[in-house]
Amino acid sequence: MFRRTTSLLTLVLPALALTAGTLAGLSSQALAAEYVVTMKDAAYSPAAITATLGDTVRFVNDDGETHNVFVPTLGHALDLGKQEAGAEKTLVLRTPGQFEVECVHHLSMTMTITVKP
Amino acid sequence: MKTTTLGGLGAAAIAGLLLAGDVSAGPERVTYPANFETGYTLYNQVDRLDRKRVRSFYVNREADAAAKSDAPLPDGTVLVMADRNAKLDAGGNPVFGADGRLVATGPVTNIFVMEKRAGWGESIPAELRNGDWDYAWFTPDGSLKPDAKYKGCFTCHMSRVERDYTFTYVKRLMDAGR
Repeated sequence: MFRRTTSLLTLVLPALALTAGTLAGLSSQALAAEYVVTMKDAAYSPAAITATLGDTVRFVNDDGETHNVFVPTLGHALDLGKQEAGAEKTLVLRTPGQFEVECVHHLSMTMTITVKP
Repeated sequence: MKTTTLGGLGAAAIAGLLLAGDVSAGPERVTYPANFETGYTLYNQVDRLDRKRVRSFYVNREADAAAKSDAPLPDGTVLVMADRNAKLDAGGNPVFGADGRLVATGPVTNIFVMEKRAGWGESIPAELRNGDWDYAWFTPDGSLKPDAKYKGCFTCHMSRVERDYTFTYVKRLMDAGR
Protein backbone atom coordinates (compact mmCIF):
# COMPACT_ATOMS: atom_id res chain seq x y z
CA MET A 1 0.00 0.00 0.00
CA PHE A 2 1.48 3.31 -1.02
CA ARG A 3 0.04 6.69 -1.51
CA ARG A 4 1.29 10.22 -1.79
CA THR A 5 -0.91 12.78 -0.17
CA THR A 6 -0.64 16.52 -0.07
CA SER A 7 -1.10 18.52 3.07
CA LEU A 8 -4.58 19.70 3.92
CA LEU A 9 -3.18 23.20 3.67
CA THR A 10 -2.94 22.74 -0.07
CA LEU A 11 -6.69 22.36 -0.27
CA VAL A 12 -7.61 25.01 2.23
CA LEU A 13 -5.25 27.77 1.27
CA PRO A 14 -6.92 28.82 -1.99
CA ALA A 15 -10.14 29.42 -0.11
CA LEU A 16 -8.51 31.71 2.36
CA ALA A 17 -7.99 35.38 1.67
CA LEU A 18 -4.39 35.33 2.78
CA THR A 19 -1.82 37.86 1.78
CA ALA A 20 0.90 36.99 -0.68
CA GLY A 21 3.44 37.25 2.10
CA THR A 22 1.62 34.74 4.22
CA LEU A 23 1.32 32.39 1.30
CA ALA A 24 5.02 32.61 0.67
CA GLY A 25 5.72 31.80 4.28
CA LEU A 26 3.59 28.70 4.18
CA SER A 27 4.63 27.49 0.76
CA SER A 28 7.13 24.89 1.87
CA GLN A 29 4.73 23.44 4.41
CA ALA A 30 1.86 23.42 1.96
CA LEU A 31 3.88 21.50 -0.60
CA ALA A 32 5.05 18.83 1.81
CA ALA A 33 3.84 15.37 0.90
CA GLU A 34 3.21 12.35 3.05
CA TYR A 35 4.23 8.88 1.95
CA VAL A 36 2.75 5.82 3.60
CA VAL A 37 4.86 2.68 4.01
CA THR A 38 3.34 -0.50 5.36
CA MET A 39 5.25 -3.09 7.36
CA LYS A 40 3.92 -6.57 6.79
CA ASP A 41 5.27 -10.09 6.23
CA ALA A 42 8.80 -8.92 6.99
CA ALA A 43 8.73 -6.37 4.19
CA TYR A 44 8.31 -2.64 3.73
CA SER A 45 5.94 -1.66 0.95
CA PRO A 46 6.87 0.08 -1.23
CA ALA A 47 10.53 -0.93 -1.13
CA ALA A 48 11.70 2.41 -2.50
CA ILE A 49 10.56 6.01 -2.28
CA THR A 50 11.80 9.17 -3.90
CA ALA A 51 10.67 12.20 -1.93
CA THR A 52 11.59 15.82 -1.35
CA LEU A 53 13.16 17.48 1.63
CA GLY A 54 10.44 18.29 4.17
CA ASP A 55 8.15 15.46 3.11
CA THR A 56 7.12 12.89 5.68
CA VAL A 57 6.96 9.11 5.69
CA ARG A 58 4.34 7.43 7.82
CA PHE A 59 5.28 3.86 8.70
CA VAL A 60 2.27 1.66 9.46
CA ASN A 61 2.81 -1.72 11.06
CA ASP A 62 0.05 -3.81 9.48
CA ASP A 63 1.60 -7.01 10.75
CA GLY A 64 0.99 -9.18 13.78
CA GLU A 65 4.52 -8.75 15.09
CA THR A 66 6.86 -5.99 16.14
CA HIS A 67 8.88 -4.16 13.51
CA ASN A 68 11.14 -1.13 13.52
CA VAL A 69 12.58 1.70 11.45
CA PHE A 70 16.35 1.75 11.70
CA VAL A 71 18.64 3.62 9.32
CA PRO A 72 22.34 2.64 9.43
CA THR A 73 23.48 4.89 6.55
CA LEU A 74 26.16 7.39 7.57
CA GLY A 75 24.80 10.94 7.67
CA HIS A 76 21.23 9.71 7.90
CA ALA A 77 21.38 7.13 10.68
CA LEU A 78 18.40 7.08 13.03
CA ASP A 79 16.16 4.79 15.02
CA LEU A 80 12.45 5.31 15.61
CA GLY A 81 12.31 2.56 18.23
CA LYS A 82 10.16 -0.49 18.62
CA GLN A 83 6.92 -0.40 16.66
CA GLU A 84 4.27 -2.82 17.93
CA ALA A 85 1.61 -4.37 15.72
CA GLY A 86 -0.84 -1.73 14.55
CA ALA A 87 1.37 1.18 15.56
CA GLU A 88 2.29 4.09 13.30
CA LYS A 89 5.36 6.32 13.36
CA THR A 90 6.19 9.31 11.21
CA LEU A 91 9.58 10.39 9.95
CA VAL A 92 10.21 13.91 8.65
CA LEU A 93 12.79 13.87 5.86
CA ARG A 94 15.26 16.53 6.95
CA THR A 95 18.45 15.48 5.16
CA PRO A 96 18.89 15.15 1.38
CA GLY A 97 20.48 12.04 -0.07
CA GLN A 98 19.77 8.35 -0.21
CA PHE A 99 19.60 5.98 2.72
CA GLU A 100 18.53 2.48 3.62
CA VAL A 101 15.90 1.53 6.15
CA GLU A 102 16.16 -1.75 8.03
CA CYS A 103 14.07 -3.52 10.60
CA VAL A 104 16.15 -4.29 13.67
CA HIS A 105 14.28 -7.56 14.10
CA HIS A 106 14.40 -8.78 10.48
CA LEU A 107 17.63 -8.38 8.53
CA SER A 108 16.00 -9.02 5.16
CA MET A 109 13.38 -6.32 5.73
CA THR A 110 14.82 -3.29 3.98
CA MET A 111 13.85 -0.34 1.83
CA THR A 112 15.51 2.68 0.26
CA ILE A 113 14.51 6.33 0.58
CA THR A 114 15.88 9.01 -1.72
CA VAL A 115 15.43 12.59 -0.57
CA LYS A 116 15.79 15.30 -3.18
CA PRO A 117 16.81 18.81 -2.06
CA MET B 1 30.19 -14.25 37.04
CA LYS B 2 28.03 -11.86 39.03
CA THR B 3 24.53 -13.14 38.51
CA THR B 4 23.02 -9.85 39.60
CA THR B 5 23.95 -8.35 36.25
CA LEU B 6 22.32 -11.14 34.32
CA GLY B 7 18.99 -11.21 36.08
CA GLY B 8 17.14 -11.32 32.79
CA LEU B 9 18.66 -14.63 31.86
CA GLY B 10 16.85 -16.65 34.50
CA ALA B 11 18.20 -19.34 36.79
CA ALA B 12 18.45 -22.04 34.12
CA ALA B 13 20.49 -19.86 31.81
CA ILE B 14 22.77 -18.76 34.61
CA ALA B 15 23.31 -22.38 35.57
CA GLY B 16 24.19 -23.06 31.95
CA LEU B 17 26.76 -20.30 31.99
CA LEU B 18 28.37 -21.63 35.13
CA LEU B 19 28.36 -25.18 33.82
CA ALA B 20 30.17 -23.97 30.75
CA GLY B 21 33.22 -23.62 32.96
CA ASP B 22 34.22 -19.98 32.45
CA VAL B 23 33.22 -18.24 35.63
CA SER B 24 34.66 -14.96 34.34
CA ALA B 25 31.97 -14.65 31.64
CA GLY B 26 29.87 -11.51 31.72
CA PRO B 27 30.35 -7.76 31.62
CA GLU B 28 33.20 -7.82 34.13
CA ARG B 29 35.54 -9.18 31.48
CA VAL B 30 34.74 -6.32 29.09
CA THR B 31 37.28 -3.52 29.46
CA TYR B 32 36.02 0.01 30.02
CA PRO B 33 37.39 2.03 27.07
CA ALA B 34 38.38 5.15 29.02
CA ASN B 35 39.85 6.89 25.98
CA PHE B 36 37.13 6.10 23.46
CA GLU B 37 36.40 9.76 22.65
CA THR B 38 40.01 10.55 21.77
CA GLY B 39 41.66 7.21 21.02
CA TYR B 40 38.95 5.48 18.99
CA THR B 41 37.50 6.17 15.55
CA LEU B 42 34.05 7.76 15.44
CA TYR B 43 32.30 5.97 12.59
CA ASN B 44 28.61 6.83 12.86
CA GLN B 45 25.96 8.77 14.73
CA VAL B 46 22.45 7.46 15.17
CA ASP B 47 19.66 9.86 16.08
CA ARG B 48 17.46 8.02 18.52
CA LEU B 49 14.41 10.13 17.76
CA ASP B 50 12.02 8.23 20.01
CA ARG B 51 14.24 8.77 23.04
CA LYS B 52 15.58 12.22 22.13
CA ARG B 53 19.14 10.94 22.34
CA VAL B 54 22.18 11.03 20.12
CA ARG B 55 24.18 7.82 19.91
CA SER B 56 27.80 8.07 18.78
CA PHE B 57 29.55 4.92 17.60
CA TYR B 58 33.27 4.28 17.96
CA VAL B 59 35.65 1.44 17.06
CA ASN B 60 39.15 0.84 18.36
CA ARG B 61 41.70 1.84 15.74
CA GLU B 62 43.65 -1.42 15.65
CA ALA B 63 40.53 -3.38 14.76
CA ASP B 64 39.30 -0.75 12.33
CA ALA B 65 42.56 -0.89 10.40
CA ALA B 66 42.20 -4.63 9.85
CA ALA B 67 38.43 -4.98 9.51
CA LYS B 68 36.79 -6.18 6.28
CA SER B 69 33.08 -6.48 5.69
CA ASP B 70 33.40 -9.93 4.11
CA ALA B 71 35.30 -11.48 7.00
CA PRO B 72 34.68 -11.88 10.73
CA LEU B 73 35.79 -8.83 12.66
CA PRO B 74 39.25 -9.14 14.21
CA ASP B 75 39.82 -10.62 17.64
CA GLY B 76 40.05 -7.67 20.01
CA THR B 77 37.46 -5.54 18.24
CA VAL B 78 35.81 -3.08 20.64
CA LEU B 79 32.70 -1.18 19.59
CA VAL B 80 31.38 1.63 21.74
CA MET B 81 27.93 3.24 21.71
CA ALA B 82 27.89 6.46 23.74
CA ASP B 83 24.62 8.22 24.53
CA ARG B 84 24.14 11.95 24.96
CA ASN B 85 20.91 13.86 25.30
CA ALA B 86 19.57 15.75 22.31
CA LYS B 87 19.16 19.52 22.51
CA LEU B 88 15.50 20.45 23.10
CA ASP B 89 13.53 23.65 22.67
CA ALA B 90 11.41 25.25 25.38
CA GLY B 91 8.57 22.93 24.51
CA GLY B 92 10.67 19.84 24.93
CA ASN B 93 10.91 19.14 21.23
CA PRO B 94 14.23 18.20 19.60
CA VAL B 95 16.22 20.96 17.93
CA PHE B 96 17.69 19.98 14.57
CA GLY B 97 20.93 21.32 13.16
CA ALA B 98 21.38 22.78 9.69
CA ASP B 99 22.16 19.26 8.50
CA GLY B 100 18.79 18.01 9.71
CA ARG B 101 20.34 15.99 12.50
CA LEU B 102 19.80 16.01 16.25
CA VAL B 103 22.21 18.16 18.21
CA ALA B 104 23.96 16.41 21.08
CA THR B 105 24.22 18.36 24.29
CA GLY B 106 25.68 17.79 27.73
CA PRO B 107 27.92 14.97 28.85
CA VAL B 108 27.84 11.32 27.85
CA THR B 109 25.14 9.60 29.89
CA ASN B 110 25.74 5.91 29.15
CA ILE B 111 28.48 3.89 27.48
CA PHE B 112 27.59 0.55 25.91
CA VAL B 113 30.46 -1.67 24.82
CA MET B 114 30.66 -4.87 22.80
CA GLU B 115 34.03 -6.58 22.77
CA LYS B 116 35.16 -9.64 20.85
CA ARG B 117 37.73 -12.01 22.27
CA ALA B 118 38.58 -15.51 21.09
CA GLY B 119 36.82 -18.13 23.17
CA TRP B 120 34.44 -15.80 24.97
CA GLY B 121 31.44 -17.31 23.22
CA GLU B 122 32.11 -20.70 24.75
CA SER B 123 30.82 -19.53 28.11
CA ILE B 124 27.55 -18.18 26.73
CA PRO B 125 24.55 -20.52 26.28
CA ALA B 126 24.21 -21.56 22.65
CA GLU B 127 20.75 -20.02 22.29
CA LEU B 128 22.16 -16.60 23.25
CA ARG B 129 25.68 -16.85 21.88
CA ASN B 130 26.80 -13.99 19.62
CA GLY B 131 29.99 -15.55 18.31
CA ASP B 132 32.75 -14.43 20.66
CA TRP B 133 31.15 -11.13 21.60
CA ASP B 134 30.24 -10.01 25.09
CA TYR B 135 28.53 -6.83 26.26
CA ALA B 136 28.83 -4.31 29.06
CA TRP B 137 26.95 -1.18 30.09
CA PHE B 138 29.04 1.45 31.83
CA THR B 139 28.10 4.63 33.62
CA PRO B 140 30.11 7.80 32.81
CA ASP B 141 32.48 7.19 35.73
CA GLY B 142 33.57 3.92 34.12
CA SER B 143 31.79 1.57 36.49
CA LEU B 144 29.40 -1.14 35.38
CA LYS B 145 25.75 -0.18 35.64
CA PRO B 146 24.68 -2.31 38.59
CA ASP B 147 21.12 -3.08 37.49
CA ALA B 148 21.90 -3.67 33.80
CA LYS B 149 20.35 -6.61 32.00
CA TYR B 150 22.20 -8.17 29.08
CA LYS B 151 19.90 -10.78 27.64
CA GLY B 152 18.39 -8.16 25.33
CA CYS B 153 21.82 -7.36 23.88
CA PHE B 154 22.37 -10.95 22.84
CA THR B 155 18.86 -11.57 21.50
CA CYS B 156 18.67 -8.32 19.53
CA HIS B 157 22.15 -8.56 17.99
CA MET B 158 21.38 -12.16 17.01
CA SER B 159 19.44 -10.80 14.03
CA ARG B 160 22.69 -9.47 12.55
CA VAL B 161 24.65 -12.73 12.58
CA GLU B 162 25.52 -12.13 8.92
CA ARG B 163 27.24 -8.88 9.90
CA ASP B 164 29.13 -10.42 12.79
CA TYR B 165 26.35 -9.39 15.17
CA THR B 166 26.78 -5.66 14.56
CA PHE B 167 24.05 -3.24 13.51
CA THR B 168 26.19 -0.33 12.40
CA TYR B 169 29.87 -1.23 12.07
CA VAL B 170 29.95 -3.94 9.41
CA LYS B 171 27.26 -2.05 7.50
CA ARG B 172 29.55 0.97 7.57
CA LEU B 173 32.36 -1.16 6.14
CA MET B 174 30.02 -2.45 3.42
CA ASP B 175 28.88 1.04 2.50
CA ALA B 176 32.49 2.19 2.36
CA GLY B 177 33.40 -0.66 0.02
CA ARG B 178 35.81 -2.20 2.51
